[in-house]
Amino acid sequence: MNKTAFQLQDRILSLIEQGMARSTTDPEFDALARDVFAFQFEANALYRSFCVQQKRTPETVQHWKHIPTVPTNAFKEFALTCFPVEEAVTEFHTSGTTAAKAGKHHFRTLALYDAAIRPNFEAHLLPGLAGRAAHPFMPRQMAANGPDSRSTILRLPMFILTPSPEEAPHSSLAHMMGVAAKQFGATGSGFYVKRGALCVERLVDALQETERTRRPVFLLGTAFAFVRLFEHCAQRNLRFKMADGSRAMETGGFKDRSREIPKKELYGMFEKFLRIPPSCVVNEYGMTELSTQFYDQTLSVDRQTDEKTAPPWSRVLVIDPNTGKEAAEGERGLIRVFDLANLWSMMCIQTEDLGIARGDRFEILGRAAGAEVRGCSLNAEMLSHG
Amino acid sequence: MNATVEQIHEAVRRIGEAREAVFQDRRTDATISALAHAARNWLDPASPWRQRAIEQAPSATGFSSAMVSEAIDFTFEVITEEALGELLDAELGDRRVLDEFCRRGQARTRAFGPTLIAHFLAGNVPAPGIVSICCGLLLKSANLIKVSSRDHVFPALFIDSLRAVDAELADCVAVLDWRREDVALTQTALAKADAVIAYGDDETIGTLRRMCRLGARFLGHGHRLSFAVVAKEAMTADNLPSLTEAAAFDASVYDQQGCLSPHAFYVEEGGQLSPREFAAAVAKAMAAYQARVPRGDLSVEEAAQIAKLRGAYEFRSASDKRVALWASADANDWLVIYEDDPMLTPSCLNRVVFVKPVERLERVPELVRRFAPHLSTVGVAPLNARATELAGKLGSLGVSRVCAIGQMQRPPLTWHHDARPNLADLVRWTDLW
Repeated sequence: MNKTAFQLQDRILSLIEQGMARSTTDPEFDALARDVFAFQFEANALYRSFCVQQKRTPETVQHWKHIPTVPTNAFKEFALTCFPVEEAVTEFHTSGTTAAKAGKHHFRTLALYDAAIRPNFEAHLLPGLAGRAAHPFMPRQMAANGPDSRSTILRLPMFILTPSPEEAPHSSLAHMMGVAAKQFGATGSGFYVKRGALCVERLVDALQETERTRRPVFLLGTAFAFVRLFEHCAQRNLRFKMADGSRAMETGGFKDRSREIPKKELYGMFEKFLRIPPSCVVNEYGMTELSTQFYDQTLSVDRQTDEKTAPPWSRVLVIDPNTGKEAAEGERGLIRVFDLANLWSMMCIQTEDLGIARGDRFEILGRAAGAEVRGCSLNAEMLSHG
Repeated sequence: MNATVEQIHEAVRRIGEAREAVFQDRRTDATISALAHAARNWLDPASPWRQRAIEQAPSATGFSSAMVSEAIDFTFEVITEEALGELLDAELGDRRVLDEFCRRGQARTRAFGPTLIAHFLAGNVPAPGIVSICCGLLLKSANLIKVSSRDHVFPALFIDSLRAVDAELADCVAVLDWRREDVALTQTALAKADAVIAYGDDETIGTLRRMCRLGARFLGHGHRLSFAVVAKEAMTADNLPSLTEAAAFDASVYDQQGCLSPHAFYVEEGGQLSPREFAAAVAKAMAAYQARVPRGDLSVEEAAQIAKLRGAYEFRSASDKRVALWASADANDWLVIYEDDPMLTPSCLNRVVFVKPVERLERVPELVRRFAPHLSTVGVAPLNARATELAGKLGSLGVSRVCAIGQMQRPPLTWHHDARPNLADLVRWTDLW
């Protein structure tokens, strides 16, 4: 089985290495996805029982869309691995609130995880930086990307508003930031969350210094951390004017720690406090249970958009929660992800997030929480928050 | 639909004047008979108000029209002359005490209702609001009704139907609506009210309570949680069909959104049949009720809550035999989850119910203690001596009603809603020696 699994891993790696330029056709994706399904069905007894109960097994499933999906909350109850869990090299944990159990995603190897970060990150967050070798800041050979025609890319200093991967070894976000910083960050890049708190003074100093040198900067972090920064700026009456080419990536992660701020309002703050316009701010959708991230296409299409696409080694469906079937285009439903890079865990993940699909693009609307109470009965939601 | 400050002022003036004129020498018996007559009219399938409610209520309440039709029956069949009289007698000692001085012990005493009651209704279950209005009229009060956005249909139609029977009485009620966030409007409504009956979540109730004028009586009805208990004596093959039909009825009515809707059934082990067999039979009965009275359409958020719960339990049930579930075939019309974790699990509602085995009935109070401040009704089968014993323990936790399974959704008019009287808390007394 191991041999097959590593062969599968090689096939997925070579797909990832082809980059973002060409999407996979349905038969291409289907062939690989059903092979992964067969492997996972074989390798994980829990998943196998579940598939058998659902009457959908590798013999009966004729298309990747019918492969049984695992709900994200199952990661809280079970070690969902396709290898002996004690052989895991890394495990990422969901942050969760104190009362709730954390979900755990175990990795046999980070090869797929790390490989999946690079082309995706580059395509969605670094447009406008390639081929500007004349620029005074550190042009860099992108040897790792092999045949890619863009041989140079401008490195920006990355100010990362998360803990470092060393400090938070179980945070998938910190790990992702670490890989991205190593791959794409200029000198001066660094992490600005320590012991759970934003190092806001140090960050302000760094921003002032960057502003002074008129050097573009790349800010990355959770929406929560950015809100903290902007609150500080508002209190101290600080306004920055970051150089053209500066950009930001923000990702969910309020986790009940701060009031939820609408995306538009948050992006207004980037403009107001940092002079980074909404057309240079990109939302990332990622989760501990996945190996692939999804980004707004804003920088790649050069205008602010809430629409994302799935990289060639993944698919995203929007499911009508009433029927369990695909929602009609433009209708809200639950996001379901098929991520080939999750080879060693579970490829098909049913999230608790709402979204809308439009053609091959989709928009994330956030957690499906807070259904309005219509009657006079308490419900689970009210009791868990009250 | 949005009232203005002027409209509220005008309504308060109008119903205040009507009250003075109407109740000057009207006897309570006349009010009882008018209310009962109006209510009885709703039970006639040809009733124009009933027909209009069935037409208009589904979009506001989210209930199917079959559910609305059931709701009409449940709401109005309890409002009879006998029950209204009994309510007055039970709470005030004598129904005539609102009309004249009545002897009580050594003294004679007479009761007076508030001048103006402001009713803040909430949610989509019509019965509490209609009963509230009836109580206000029995007490000879003017009644300002702020309807809920989830049911702006029933209160206004009820007043229309009352007008056809007794226009004077109907003049003492004004039905208005405004947005909850319009504090100025709420303040206007509360300015002259000497009694307030409020339904809603804890936050709404707290806000209204703080805004009341000094000395006003305040009856707050927060959101509540109900459940049921089946003793092993009831778990026989003979009993199972009728028992589970009653259980499914309680769990399905009002799409489980009422404060009397059970979230879970505790089933005692050691009976002729197992708790798991109970769960399977309830599922069958839920399907039968769904076929007769379909659940209303759900918002994406509501459906997502069910999908999330169903997904989690489906995955667990594949490998964990302590969990099992039964679901409607195509859509999430109903869901029965069997789980042997005995702690009370609140449902996400919309006909999603838990069945939990418990080794001894007597353990139930400790399993639900965490929810004590929110508990309302507990259905019990059978209602025997053990049930009475259990009722005492549940009562000390704060449960306001213990009744037969199948009756959870249909409290008599005389029940202590949220453990308090409906009328007695609103009157003041004048003693004559």
